[in-house]
Amino acid sequence: MKLNLFRLAMKNIRSRRTRSWLTILGVLVGVTAVVALLSIGTGVQEAVLQQFEDIGYDIILISPMGAAGGQARSAMGGFMPGAAAGGRFAGQTAADTSATSGGTFSPGSLGQDTSQDAAPQEDLAQLRDALRAAAVTSLDTELLLTQVPQLVEAGTLGTQIQPVVAGTTSGFLRVSTPSLDFLEAFSSVLGGFSVERGSFFTNTTENQVIVGARSADLLGLSVGDDVSINGIAFTVIGILASSDQAAEEGTDSDGVLSGQGLTQSLGSGNSADLVLRGLTNTDDSLFVLNERASEVLVGRSQMSVTITRVEAGASISAAKDAINVAIGQQGASGTPISIQEVADEIQGTLSLIETVLASIAAVALIVGGVGLMNTMYTAVLERTREIGILKSVGARDGQVMTLFLFDSGLMGLMGGVLGLILGSVLSVLGTRLLGPSLGVGSFSPIIDAWLVGGVLVFSFVLGSLSGVWPAWRASRLNPVEALAAE
Amino acid sequence: MLVLNDVYKTFRMGETQVNALRGVSLELPVAQFSVIMGHSGSGKSTLMHLAGCLDVPTRGQVTYGGMDLTSLNSRERADFRSSDVGFVFQKYNLVSNLTAVENVALPLLLRNTTTKQAHAQAVEALNSVGLQDRMAHRPAKLSGGEQQRVAIARALVNDPTMILADEPTGNLDTATGDRILNLLSQFAGDDKMVLVVTHNPEIADMADLVIYLRDGQVESQQFQEVAR
Repeated sequence: MKLNLFRLAMKNIRSRRTRSWLTILGVLVGVTAVVALLSIGTGVQEAVLQQFEDIGYDIILISPMGAAGGQARSAMGGFMPGAAAGGRFAGQTAADTSATSGGTFSPGSLGQDTSQDAAPQEDLAQLRDALRAAAVTSLDTELLLTQVPQLVEAGTLGTQIQPVVAGTTSGFLRVSTPSLDFLEAFSSVLGGFSVERGSFFTNTTENQVIVGARSADLLGLSVGDDVSINGIAFTVIGILASSDQAAEEGTDSDGVLSGQGLTQSLGSGNSADLVLRGLTNTDDSLFVLNERASEVLVGRSQMSVTITRVEAGASISAAKDAINVAIGQQGASGTPISIQEVADEIQGTLSLIETVLASIAAVALIVGGVGLMNTMYTAVLERTREIGILKSVGARDGQVMTLFLFDSGLMGLMGGVLGLILGSVLSVLGTRLLGPSLGVGSFSPIIDAWLVGGVLVFSFVLGSLSGVWPAWRASRLNPVEALAAE
Repeated sequence: MLVLNDVYKTFRMGETQVNALRGVSLELPVAQFSVIMGHSGSGKSTLMHLAGCLDVPTRGQVTYGGMDLTSLNSRERADFRSSDVGFVFQKYNLVSNLTAVENVALPLLLRNTTTKQAHAQAVEALNSVGLQDRMAHRPAKLSGGEQQRVAIARALVNDPTMILADEPTGNLDTATGDRILNLLSQFAGDDKMVLVVTHNPEIADMADLVIYLRDGQVESQQFQEVAR
């Protein structure tokens, strides 16, 4: 049929302008939601995967997610509800605070009223036990390299939560303890570990600390200042460049880890998450060389992860097997996990979230389709006489049906096009608003040809399907009865 | 020739059964202006609908040029209407959101004619009914007489062999009505079969054949000599 369906459909849409636009609006809302959520979701996934790519898929982490990690998670499970109220981590024993140079350690000394948000003492005791249980004996990385010939580099990155006092400011902060070989081989993992002011560590015998940009601002630290970590005096020898990352989850507005953040950090489902979460965000940490920390902060609550790089072409799984054997031989504990496995796990979670959100958006789209069906059904009733006219001049049933289907399909398509435009704009705006709080660095929404094509085809098909029943009714009308309609 | 052989048409309106046609048998020759007259409810319009394949008889047979119209399926009836029939209705029955030329082009577009060709033929048809200046107007902007001329142009644009008109002057003033009737009678002279359903006895005076229906049956049919 060479009947110009497009022109006829456009004329019908124009002749019922208000209703047509309201119908198109229904589809538009659904498409906008789908486009915005899918493009942002895909963008987040890509950004996360890019971070893993930057770290390198040839890396194997050896984390305490085995026996020790399991104990920690178990213990944290009991603690979390109490801490989840968002109260500041306020627990300190006398022994913990006795050496604090700034006098008695005050958890609320950043200007908060501490009397209202102190966690119960029994919870704190549980937390302390958990922290100790989570501690893992650091692997001897030099020995590990000889034990596992597939490994070309290895280094250790520890993480502790310690009371930190600088002048009159105090609080609990993350203290990262990378080994020298870690910083040499894996500085990219720490966002390049770029010292903006001061210098890099000069030796392993003095108490030197390099401070993240936000921590330095928070504590008012400059190069050369003294800072007390767990009561032990350290000298600030460098301050890192800002990584422009959002404040770490669980960190309050002052940058101090709350109880919730702390337990989430140490007790979340995968201890590799802990390490990876903090890997690129160096702003909220203080850095002490592992070699020094093991001397002066020894025995303190800590998590320690060894990072290794597998030589090019070697099997990751074979390397993991060899590492397991080596861990046993060293009498240490830990479980090797490849970056690929972590990436797969996180990507799986993100995909699930994306699917759930897209499903919710799809409901909005279906509602738009129902609105379209309603409009088309009404149109058939209103255009009954017109259908009779078409049939009297020779239109076949199929042609009448096609005309109505094209009409509804065109409205669906218009909703799709406008929704695509609006969804794209919203996704860009949403990215700017959400980007910092998602903690995945800068990312862009991904609107590729598949999304554009899929949305346009889907909206046209949705529109057409919504018009099937009304169009079928129209095509089956008796021409004499249709012509008699008023 | 259009032949109706013992044709019955029954409608059901709720619980009531309406016998619109009761054993009608007729032979309507081509190249003639035929008029069907009768009171309201006599079955005039129903007979016209059966002749034009807009409807099918409950019983009996309708043939046109030897073709049994009652055996056609829905698609074949649509094709017959498209190729052989031109309808003119009392209420004009133009599509309100199409212009005059688009309304006239509609039957051609439904027959796989290209848009350009359909437009050219529609313009020619509108010229033939004297509406060359009103082509871009929508029905609402046209007078009753102009709308009926658009309807006639649409009925003619496919070059049908049969023109069926149901009270074509019913909504028009006398002068305009006369002009429309002259157009229709002119087509009968062009070897087309023109069948007009009307109450108007003046139209009967112009017809070659006048058929009177009463209560769904042929009461009389009368041939007459008309100067054309």
